[in-house]
Amino acid sequence: MISSMIPGLWMIIASILLPVIPSYFRQPAMLLSVFLSSLSLLNGFGTFLTWEILGFNLTLYHSDNLTLPFAIIFHLASLLVIIYGWHNKNLMENMATLAYAGSAIGALHAGDFFSLFIWWEATALTSVFIVLAGNTISARNSAMRYLIIQVCSGVLLLIGASMMVYQTGNHELIKLDLSSNFGVFIFLAFGIKAAFPFLNGWLQDSYPESSPTGTVALSAFTTKLAIYALARTFPGTETLIWIGAIMTAFPVFFAVIENDLRRVLSFSLNNQLGFMVVGIGIGTELSLNGTVAHAFVHIIYKALLFMSMGAVLHRVGTTKASELGGLYKYMPLTTIFCIIGAMSISAFPLFSGFVAKSLIMSSLGGQGLILIYFVLFFASAGVLEHSGIKIPYFAFFAHERKTKVKEAPLNMLIAMGVAAFLCIGIGVYPKYLYSILPYSVDYQPYTIDHVISQLQLLVFAILAFLFLVKFKLYPSEIKSTVLNSDWIYRKMLPGIGKPLFKNLQKIIIKFYDLLSILFDLILGRSKKFANSSYIKVTTPGFAGLLMITILFIMLVIAVI
Amino acid sequence: MKNNNLKTYAKYFTQFIIAVAGLLLIIDFTIHRHAYFHLEEIIGFPAMFGFICFVFIVIVGKHLRKILMRKEDYYDK
Repeated sequence: MISSMIPGLWMIIASILLPVIPSYFRQPAMLLSVFLSSLSLLNGFGTFLTWEILGFNLTLYHSDNLTLPFAIIFHLASLLVIIYGWHNKNLMENMATLAYAGSAIGALHAGDFFSLFIWWEATALTSVFIVLAGNTISARNSAMRYLIIQVCSGVLLLIGASMMVYQTGNHELIKLDLSSNFGVFIFLAFGIKAAFPFLNGWLQDSYPESSPTGTVALSAFTTKLAIYALARTFPGTETLIWIGAIMTAFPVFFAVIENDLRRVLSFSLNNQLGFMVVGIGIGTELSLNGTVAHAFVHIIYKALLFMSMGAVLHRVGTTKASELGGLYKYMPLTTIFCIIGAMSISAFPLFSGFVAKSLIMSSLGGQGLILIYFVLFFASAGVLEHSGIKIPYFAFFAHERKTKVKEAPLNMLIAMGVAAFLCIGIGVYPKYLYSILPYSVDYQPYTIDHVISQLQLLVFAILAFLFLVKFKLYPSEIKSTVLNSDWIYRKMLPGIGKPLFKNLQKIIIKFYDLLSILFDLILGRSKKFANSSYIKVTTPGFAGLLMITILFIMLVIAVI
Repeated sequence: MKNNNLKTYAKYFTQFIIAVAGLLLIIDFTIHRHAYFHLEEIIGFPAMFGFICFVFIVIVGKHLRKILMRKEDYYDK
């Protein structure tokens, strides 16, 4: 009974029950539900639950070598999020977080496009409440935009799935390509959630608007669910290599000039997704392993970075770089944890990012894709810039701080400590991570060539930073808004649309005026004609005349 | 606590990084690195690449501000 329960469903049930649980036991209950759900990890591979409805056979619980690593990390991330938010008594946010994590885990185990669609929408509808938990006007506006875009993704998925059933009679979650029209719809649906270039605006718009704890939850699930879905349905699609390469490179420049550090991390998240998308695009066993490994470690270090910034937001009240600095003295542990996260994302040897990114770089090298290889190499320097240096530097160092601040609460420190431990643990002992990857790996990341090459890149990039700071060439932080692709629907389209519709309205009104004048004119003339004395005798009036005319026209048509 | 703590740390940190950077270059001269592309095997190539990319990103970012940067309340209006 328990074993055939869809993983994640326990968490959704617990989320519904949360309001009746005394507030003291809420967090333990949340942990318990994650634990119950995680028992499903022991079930092994296979199809455990199907449901026949309206002639469709829905596969509700399916597990294989690709779902397992994602399921493990999603459960782990749920635990971290709950511990990190232990002090948070906001019931709405607690419920939304638990249900959101549960739906993401449920989505991983969907075996067909329709059950995937249900979970896909469930993650959207639950996570919007986490954005709302930011509890500001801008968070509310952002949440509405977020909801529209996420639902768009769901609708595209539904259209694609329906067309697929109509054309092929199959709705299983199988490998697709872009030659079929339904494939394109599904590709776009996944692309929105995976924050492809120009479809990425929602991510940087909404994630930084949420509460300190909410952003950590948001950063873990939605985008990685999209990566999982892409890895399942579009492995080896060459377009993805190019899309991924652009994704790694272009957010880098935005991250340099962005002032809100949580938004910087959102750009950085986008850039990391690019590495995973490239891995899916190559589609070899090595590269898919790389994508999965990267998603796995990325969730941990990105959560760690968001947690450290959340702690700063919790204590200082802002994450704007222009208002921070010098926190190392007051938040020493948070500083250390943040630096560990920064070193992991920058892929320093002995940190988790290194052992995962190496897989993707090696598969690129193995395929001889030299251009993409160097784009990703370039992006690695970019990662170091915005996540490795900018985040810790502006938050904790930069200049001395005058006002005192308290260290982060204990529960936050525990969550960050666990994440930091995992970052180093995976980096030092990668074989445990490698053993859960979809394909068996015989890969050694720690070769002298590799380590020296990576260290050279990173250390000289740091040297470049020191050089730029020394000669005052490094741009200082300015309070500002940086335009991103959400500008298209927040400013450009309304900018074009509003005057356009206004003028169109004017034209339509003018047209109606003209019509009524014309109508009056014709009607007036015919009335006059009907009332004229020589016709009055023979006709009963205007209505009769009209009827005669119509009959006459019908007669003419009939004759013709 | 003295007020110039950060400056002292920065000095030590800079010295440390310069030392490591020098060491890495020396190692590069003594071994032959194998890489997927010959370009990467050139002595000191990743170092040069890292340095140039970093400066490039920062400089380009700085100039992008002219196009992409707006006032903080840009969207509120």
